Amino acid sequence: MRKVALVGAGVSKFGVRKATYRDLVWEAGKACFDSMPGVRPRDLDGLVVGSVMPERTAFQSHIASLVAEALGIRPSALSARTEHMCASGTVGIRYAYAFIAAGLADLVMVLGAEKLNQPSGEEAILNMGTGVDREWEAAFGLTAPPCFALAAQRHMAAYGTTEEQLALVGVKNHTHAARNPNAHFGKGVTLDQVLGSRMISTPLRLYMCSPITDGAAAVVLAAEDRARALTDRPVWIRGTGQALDGFQLTSLHEDYAHWPALRRAGEAAYRMAGVGPADVDLAEVHDCFAIAELIAYEELGFCKKGEAGPFVAAGRSDYGGDVVVNPRGGLMGCGHPLGATGVAQAAEVFVQLRGEAGARQVPDAALGLTHNNSGMGEHVVMLYGREA
Amino acid sequence: MSYFRAIDPFPLESADQTKLHEFYARLADGRLATTRCAGCGATAWPPRGFCPECASDRFEWVDLPREGTVHAFSVQEAGLPAGFEGPRVFAIVKVGGHRVFSVLTGAEPGAVRVGQPVALAPLRVADGPGGGPRWLPAFRVLSP
Repeated sequence: MRKVALVGAGVSKFGVRKATYRDLVWEAGKACFDSMPGVRPRDLDGLVVGSVMPERTAFQSHIASLVAEALGIRPSALSARTEHMCASGTVGIRYAYAFIAAGLADLVMVLGAEKLNQPSGEEAILNMGTGVDREWEAAFGLTAPPCFALAAQRHMAAYGTTEEQLALVGVKNHTHAARNPNAHFGKGVTLDQVLGSRMISTPLRLYMCSPITDGAAAVVLAAEDRARALTDRPVWIRGTGQALDGFQLTSLHEDYAHWPALRRAGEAAYRMAGVGPADVDLAEVHDCFAIAELIAYEELGFCKKGEAGPFVAAGRSDYGGDVVVNPRGGLMGCGHPLGATGVAQAAEVFVQLRGEAGARQVPDAALGLTHNNSGMGEHVVMLYGREA
Repeated sequence: MSYFRAIDPFPLESADQTKLHEFYARLADGRLATTRCAGCGATAWPPRGFCPECASDRFEWVDLPREGTVHAFSVQEAGLPAGFEGPRVFAIVKVGGHRVFSVLTGAEPGAVRVGQPVALAPLRVADGPGGGPRWLPAFRVLSP
């Protein structure tokens, strides 16, 4: 297999955007090309677009071709769209990685885009129900919050995790987001604000949840020889893992605070990279809800099972701690435009490992992890290194 | 404007539209049915037209108990999709060794607890595209 590196990255402003789907694609694409002086759209030979529901939110299919034309990319080796709900972006990065590693493509953009907000907020939420099983779950009105709430309830009952510890994840990530000009939220929140915010699904309150957000992000992956020719600071893909426990809630581990698929995905990525959890300097994890970040600490091996609450409370997942988790601001602070999220996580690792992250730079960051999930039973983990 | 179909959030349940019609017919009769594979004998939840264990598509219908217990739950108060109102009690119910996802009706949201006994209480929803009644497998809380 050939080595593969990120050589460019760019992100649109995330938020409730007065912008079309194509506007968002243009913003992320422009920012990505601006990060790669000398690379023209026509120099790329592949494009993968991660996008979940443009059919419902922009009344548009045929997304990869639309994006290729919007950005002037002329795919000659790879053109595809990936849909894997909230993990669509990282699933797209894995496809591009595999094509390049196998020698089937040399220089591929992965772009994630989503235009989720609608004139009716209720309809925007209704659309999110497409991500759970229509006949056996969504017909009851189920969307993501009650699913992750089951995990939170169980984690609190089994390990004594407190509402305050859940809230501290929100405080941390909103604080980080305030240093990210592309984040949905820019003001930060206090512990009292999180604990005083309205209940969404017991025990998860508003500021323990990610919002419905529009946005796009893009990265470019290159084969080793192209990467070294294009930049003196490529960011190398060192490991990747994907694992699934199931789709329906009733197919997952009986104890909803246990996510074995995340543990397996992480172990596969660590094994491939020849590293362990203690080597990770920063991690962009899928904090769609506060409980997801806590369980990610445990399943990714940053702390032992059941100890995530004290781990965040002691600041061990913040600057100056064991590992900086979600320096970008996470899904809670940046928002979660489904297909764009995994790509934006990769874009953050790209700037962090190149020392270009400005006010939110993790000192001397050499190894970065991203974790993207689609439901509690489906996980993708990537490891990126400053060194090949 | 000529015909277009708006969102129908509920399953197609009638005999001409789903292989799983028998499930819905029994549900209308107050029974919770599922499929047992005629090839390997495995009982599935939810019912299936294809056995995930042995790949057979031959199956027979069996009734599960009408009563179970709350395995896990959350009360959603806000942020529900269009057409649904909070507070809504989403629950995983343990029935005959299977975990069934459902909602609890008639429950005082603050009083629900893990381990609580519940009974099948089919929930009537909007009629199907052919005009027939449609039901979902909901549960009601038994006291205490």
